[in-house]
Amino acid sequence: MNDKKNNSDILVIGAGISGIEASLMLSKSGRKVHLVEKTSITGGSVIKFEEVFSNMECSTCMVAPLQQELLQDKNINLLTLAEVKDVKGSFGDFKVKINKKARYVDMVNCIGCNACFEPCPVNLKNDFEEGLSERKAIYVPCSGALPNVPMIDTENCLHFKGKDCKACQEACMFEAIDFGQKDEQIELNVGAIIVSTGFSTFDLKNTPQYGYGKIDDVYTAFELERLYASNGPTEGKILLKSGKTPKSVAIIHCVGRDKTGYCSSVCCMYSLKFNHYLKSKIPEVDISEFYTDLVIPGKSHQKFYEKMREKGTKMIRAKDAEVTKQGQKIAIKYADGSGKKTSNTVDMVVLTPSIVPKTDASDLAKILGITVDDYGFFKEKDKNVSSVVTTKPGVFIVGCSHGPKNIQSSVSQASAAVGKILSSKEGRLE
Amino acid sequence: MNRKIGVYICECGPNIAEKVDIDRVIEAVSSLDDVAVVERYKLLCSEDGKKFLVEQIKKHGITHLVVAACSPREHLKTFMEVCENAGINPYLFQLANIREQCAWITDDKDEATKKAIRLTKAAIGRVHYHASLDKKQIESNPDVLVIGGGVAGIEVSLQLASPDRKVYLIEKDSLLGGLAKNFEKTFPDMQPCSNFIQQKIEDVQKNNNIEVLADSEVEEILGFFGNFEVTVKKKAEDNCIVNLDVGAIVLATGSTLFDPKDLSQYGYQKLENVITSLEFEKMNLSGKISLKNGKTPKSVAIIHCVGRDEKGYCSEICCMYSIKFVRYLKDKIPGINVSNLYSDLCIPGKSYQQFYEKTQGKNISFTRVADIKITKKGNQLNIEFKDEKVNKNNMSVDMVILSPALEPTSDTSRLAGFTRISQGNAGFFSEGHEKLKPVSTSTEGVFIAGCSQSPKSIADTITQAEAVTGKIFTSLVPGKKIEPEVKVSHISEALCIGCKTCLDVCSYGCINFDEAKKVSVVNEVICRGCGNCVAACPSGAAALKHFTFNQIYQELKEAVQ
Repeated sequence: MNDKKNNSDILVIGAGISGIEASLMLSKSGRKVHLVEKTSITGGSVIKFEEVFSNMECSTCMVAPLQQELLQDKNINLLTLAEVKDVKGSFGDFKVKINKKARYVDMVNCIGCNACFEPCPVNLKNDFEEGLSERKAIYVPCSGALPNVPMIDTENCLHFKGKDCKACQEACMFEAIDFGQKDEQIELNVGAIIVSTGFSTFDLKNTPQYGYGKIDDVYTAFELERLYASNGPTEGKILLKSGKTPKSVAIIHCVGRDKTGYCSSVCCMYSLKFNHYLKSKIPEVDISEFYTDLVIPGKSHQKFYEKMREKGTKMIRAKDAEVTKQGQKIAIKYADGSGKKTSNTVDMVVLTPSIVPKTDASDLAKILGITVDDYGFFKEKDKNVSSVVTTKPGVFIVGCSHGPKNIQSSVSQASAAVGKILSSKEGRLE
Repeated sequence: MNRKIGVYICECGPNIAEKVDIDRVIEAVSSLDDVAVVERYKLLCSEDGKKFLVEQIKKHGITHLVVAACSPREHLKTFMEVCENAGINPYLFQLANIREQCAWITDDKDEATKKAIRLTKAAIGRVHYHASLDKKQIESNPDVLVIGGGVAGIEVSLQLASPDRKVYLIEKDSLLGGLAKNFEKTFPDMQPCSNFIQQKIEDVQKNNNIEVLADSEVEEILGFFGNFEVTVKKKAEDNCIVNLDVGAIVLATGSTLFDPKDLSQYGYQKLENVITSLEFEKMNLSGKISLKNGKTPKSVAIIHCVGRDEKGYCSEICCMYSIKFVRYLKDKIPGINVSNLYSDLCIPGKSYQQFYEKTQGKNISFTRVADIKITKKGNQLNIEFKDEKVNKNNMSVDMVILSPALEPTSDTSRLAGFTRISQGNAGFFSEGHEKLKPVSTSTEGVFIAGCSQSPKSIADTITQAEAVTGKIFTSLVPGKKIEPEVKVSHISEALCIGCKTCLDVCSYGCINFDEAKKVSVVNEVICRGCGNCVAACPSGAAALKHFTFNQIYQELKEAVQ
């Protein structure tokens, strides 16, 4: 008999929607949760969306209460700007090393008034906004960020580059800015680990035929999300580079699917959602969707599709699409269903790139002792047994780090991992 | 009781102090009725600020607290905790948001100040009418009733059952295993399925903490989360009635195939050798794939999306199991010709396309078609269709397998009624929230898993089953009491006229009608405080605690005066 008591604390890696769900559930059952998040804020990818299909619910309104609950939850130890560096041990008794970067802004003293931004002399592209707007060297990625506490980007901050700049510190009335903060090495003991590190998108450099980065007004889906977002760079205005309103938009599905070798499962649905985005801002806009197969599985998605069709969207089954500049317009050459070559011209193109694993997924897999599949997503041990159980007992995978999926499925998996932990002999409390 | 209202205005550093003339606010509210103290403070949410508030409440004997500061989203909880620490009920508190709603939205200090005065007065007006609300705790039963003995129900039962939690698993059939017991293998890994299910069924039968009630049906469900009373009829035992007490209910009643016989173009049940996917699974499991005349088919067509237009949704798994059928056929009948006729190939997710690609090969075709019509042609079946190149094409095959839409089982509506949950357009059980509550429902303590929620694969069904156990493990803990919502509705016996309007509008089924007194009565344990009954009540008998008429009226009066 092993007399050693299993550790009841849980490590959750990634504070996107599935990490938040898992953490809140575990806390509710009285568990201590260490939630490690690489960025300075919670919410993951979902908070970049203005609305979610198929009810077109405001995404921020949906997630913000959970983020707030998370921050106020005394059982949850949120570690932002933190990464897992080492994991040893087994189910019931893991030892985890975490590197937590300094934020240089005190989480307790800062009240989130943003007074430090304006005096900062450094202007940089804001990655959260897909580079469509600027930020300072001290910043929160977007308005409404939670925790609403800025961080200092030391690579670009003048103070950290040896210059005598304390502009932010002088502007802060709460003595919250602390240039002396140090990175921390944190060691934790936990009983189980839930991995919810999310996804990345296909690099469009590998598909030059779509003209991304070369032709103005060719956008990615994430860029359109931010253009439409009321807290985004244009405060929700969808405009061409010229400042004009687009009269026609093409949405190209399955970008990168040829290369990745799988269907990313959510692109058809969010492309249809884009119809709603575009029509609500520009009622007379002409929209064409270039797709191969319409993937709208489940009880409610086809109704959503039909509703979008009523708005007059053209559905064009197309292969081998190619995007080129044609005067002031953009031409899309493609082969239709019968193979006949044809073309259309539009003002704006939106590409929906494949969902791919995070670039560091395989590194994290090694640290955790789990495997990745042919595509680089974390791999379940056996689909028939459970989609969240890995080959390493005590390490569970949820959300898009396991494969492309929608929010509902991600949340289900989070809840499933919690169920798995609480029903196992190692995870059950005596 | 003498009210002593304490009003504290937060400067929030320069955030409020520079944009709102706090002295004017103090002056404006100091002489209001029952206001005992008005003070300003530099940062009330800080540790010093909270200590200051506790000391003030104790020192002045304050009974009701008003803080004029930031958004309730930010610090409502903080100041309610201050109240508790100072020994006053946390509901005898009101927060006026003079930062986000005043200081931060205008540069006009005068306007900001005027609005801050209104909001602070409104909070004071409201707090006058606040009443103490106390948390309640009720005993709960950790046992669980699972309805439906398919993959989802079995998985939920096995994972939940333990010495301190009994699971009752009800199945209307005589056998457990649901539809999946008929499948030889699962996609995309072609792992054994029926054998695997049989193993799980044995695990269920061996488990002392699971009681299986086969051939049984639910007759009535009463009660609420933590304390449901369920009446079950055992059909096999002369309809004998069993009463079960459980804390939670899991609906896992699965789905069934849309019946294609009404779609005459497919010739189902009129033409020989036109069979459904489930019939084919059973035939395959029996070990012999054969035609009506006993011969082995040389060519088979699999028709996807049968009934999709009629049902109005994509059943999610048909493309994948149709591809699995190609594998069955190829493996068992060398040289067989298999044609897939589909409209859209729905193979989402990381591993499905690979399965599809690996299934392609000699004598295997996938064709996008429309307008299918099947007729008899000699000993064979003729399929007429339109494809992308040719307007009128046709092929002859020995056998046709139809992949029909999945629809909810026949007892879905009955159970939805018993548990007071809704069904969407398609008839499946509605989840609590499309994104965030995929396995919960609008009735607390009632959960859904598997195809009764929406068509899904076995893997996704298992995930949902596990998700349900996560929800139950974290909300219904053996030996732990349940804390229901405190801001609930109350119906005054004196004012109620017995019109029953409230019963119709209540989304949670928490209002009962007392036939003896002819009045409606709220079950406070189930009520979630949505306020529907309050808005609908014609006699003003229904009131929502913490949102009473007087509280809201007084707040509005001061705000708009």
